[in-house]
Amino acid sequence: MADKNYYTIDPEGKLTCLKCRCKLQKGKAKFLYLDNGFPVELPVCPQCGFVYVPEELALGKVLAVEKALEDK
Amino acid sequence: MKIEERASTHVYRQRQMFTKEELEARERLCVHEQPAYCNAACPLKLDAKAMTAAIAAGDFDRALALYERITPFPHLLAEGCEAPCEQSCKLWALGEGISIRALERAALTWGTKSRGKSFLRKKPTAVGIFGGDLLTLFLAGELVKKRYSVHIYCSQPDAQALVEACVPEASPSAKAATAKALADMDAEFSWNADPVLAYSREERQLKAASFAVAQALFPDLAVEEVLMVSRPHNLITGKTRGVLDAAFGAKKAALSIDRMAQKLDPANTRGEEGAVETRLYTSLEGIAPSERIPVSDKASAMAEAKRCIQCHCEECIRGCAYLQHYQKFPRILTREIYNNVSIIMGDHMMNKPINACALCGQCGVLCPNGYDMGEVCRIARENMVFTGKMPLAPHEFALMDMLFSNQEAFLARPQPGFNRCRYVFFPGCQAAAIAPATVRAAYLDLCTRLPGGVALMLGCCGAICHWAGRYELHSQTKAFLKEALAQLGDPIIIAGCPTCKKELADLPGVTVLGVWEILERLGLPQTRRPDPRPVALHDACGARGDGETQASIRRIAQALGCQVADTPYSGDQAPCCGYGGLTQYTNREVARKMTDKCLERSDLPYLSYCMACRDRFAREGRESMHLLELVYGTSADHCPDISAKRYNRLGLKQQLLKELWKEDTQTVDLGFTIAYTPEAEALMDDRMILKSDVIQVFEHLRQTGEAICDGETGLYITRARQGNVTFWVKYRETDAGYQVISAYSHRMKVVNRQ
Repeated sequence: MADKNYYTIDPEGKLTCLKCRCKLQKGKAKFLYLDNGFPVELPVCPQCGFVYVPEELALGKVLAVEKALEDK
Repeated sequence: MKIEERASTHVYRQRQMFTKEELEARERLCVHEQPAYCNAACPLKLDAKAMTAAIAAGDFDRALALYERITPFPHLLAEGCEAPCEQSCKLWALGEGISIRALERAALTWGTKSRGKSFLRKKPTAVGIFGGDLLTLFLAGELVKKRYSVHIYCSQPDAQALVEACVPEASPSAKAATAKALADMDAEFSWNADPVLAYSREERQLKAASFAVAQALFPDLAVEEVLMVSRPHNLITGKTRGVLDAAFGAKKAALSIDRMAQKLDPANTRGEEGAVETRLYTSLEGIAPSERIPVSDKASAMAEAKRCIQCHCEECIRGCAYLQHYQKFPRILTREIYNNVSIIMGDHMMNKPINACALCGQCGVLCPNGYDMGEVCRIARENMVFTGKMPLAPHEFALMDMLFSNQEAFLARPQPGFNRCRYVFFPGCQAAAIAPATVRAAYLDLCTRLPGGVALMLGCCGAICHWAGRYELHSQTKAFLKEALAQLGDPIIIAGCPTCKKELADLPGVTVLGVWEILERLGLPQTRRPDPRPVALHDACGARGDGETQASIRRIAQALGCQVADTPYSGDQAPCCGYGGLTQYTNREVARKMTDKCLERSDLPYLSYCMACRDRFAREGRESMHLLELVYGTSADHCPDISAKRYNRLGLKQQLLKELWKEDTQTVDLGFTIAYTPEAEALMDDRMILKSDVIQVFEHLRQTGEAICDGETGLYITRARQGNVTFWVKYRETDAGYQVISAYSHRMKVVNRQ
């Protein structure tokens, strides 16, 4: 079965992990809130696993989903 | 004291806010939907208010449609009605009431009758009407409207003669119009008939299911007037007094026929008939007395209709930005909130309105029946906390701020040189956050001039958690403050803020005074800065119902030379500035409207006695002063941001500890510096991100080295999770540390997955 993702961002080699000195790649991550989970693909460091949540995503879709869940 | 996020959206706990009976009792207090006085007085239930509004708008067709809805023969009624609606017009209290009958006639003259046909199917039930009088005439019309198969037997030769016999006193034009309406009716007529003979024949043959007879044919019949029915044969008849009584009698009779056609007792389940008592309240404040305008043409009819004030009760909505924002009056809002709280699964659409109310109690004062929407919202909040359905997000910042006030920035000390003090000064968290210099000056003054020692308590009174509906935290805060007061020897509390005064007065066994009362007793200090300008005095919502505080503040303002201008909605009616009920945190749009509502009352500089009001008015660009600033000749900070408000509280505590109690507090050296661009500072204030949050992100960075570099912008980005929030910081490195370019946050947790 195909992997379901609610959101995908490909860093396209523009982001570098300062700790591991390597490029972030599109990787599997999951948002968790109030006992709900949403699989996504975000820029992830292949070594240390640092997951980057861009500002537009945090203040856009993430905020909207947070507000929707808060009123459930 | 701990603040916890709700565990899950899948917790299906439920508890009603209050019983159905209590809900209904509350709803009954709201008279917004009560009929206007004119409508209530009309036994035929004419919507005179809507008809007048239609004419005022020049829509005579609609006015006619509204009028024709109540009677089949509007020309007769417009002429002969005694018009109880006119007598009950509210405008009589000022000048002359609306001439509703003239407007009815105007609708008949200049309105065009709708050509629309009834969608009702013709009923097979036959009704025989025998003999002509006012009741049977109107009844025939009512029954045709209800689509009964009506057969009229009368001795007259035609419709004109029948109308003449029924209403000889009517004008020729009314008679002609009524005769035409009668002749056009979808009914069968037997002219030149003997009604008595016809009745006995019909009754024997039982062709008709119901029978109505003119009263004159059988004058000895006993009639139940409520039903217009003569038992035991259920014969419809009755004597009526005038046109209105006949029209009403016909309605009652038609309803009796309806019920009998369904083989039901005509006396049962009839609903509300006739004129009703209305509980409506309508203020005549600001309405000029006026006289009737004779109606001779369309323009004069419209002018007369425009005199109508469209009686309705909006006392609460007019004064409250919150109710105006949601465009709902308390009854409907309460019902929706009640339903929202009762929802077990799904979207809770009313969470936002529940959390947007300032809980200030203004509506309770403005409402003629004392309907307090704030109380409903507060109960709803507590209920949501109890059932685990209250999200933490809207209130978390304020609650954390309260914990900061009562932990890190908390201070409770007796006056130096005293073990037990007679008084304790409790300035309130916002005073310390916005005007620390004023708090310091006030405390030093009280220490100097009050005998018996004055302790100091810097902290939060518990209003924040009370407003948030966090009842457990509220009890814990009260217990904490009670304990702190006990350690100071249970002194008399001198509150610097009216909300603190109210909140602290709930503690068992305490005496609370306002600092203003003490200042009046002691006299104003030499440091006072008289301000002889006219100022608009804004009463704090915390002082609602506290007339003595309101009067005391005015006396002090006058002693300071202020020319106090009372604004509309002052005293107990004052609106909230937008801070109360945590509206400032939960719904900035509504909070801003609340502030605007306060400021629209006057163009003068605003004088207030609550520091939150003072701050919010200043933020909207209005010159704003707190009374204590004038008393002590000090100035509050100009619009401090959220971090400065915390810094001020902590700074005041450290300053006073050093100055009065000779205690040095250790300041922690971070070992690096953080600079902020002005844009970053503004963004952080807007996004409720504290500088202390940013410090923790950098400390996390220095421990873990976790950060990334954005090749496009050249900025570094790091993050740290603190409590329920992940904070992200975009920065540049500097020689001594970091320069923050931007910061943002989210509450969702993000994790790796396989």
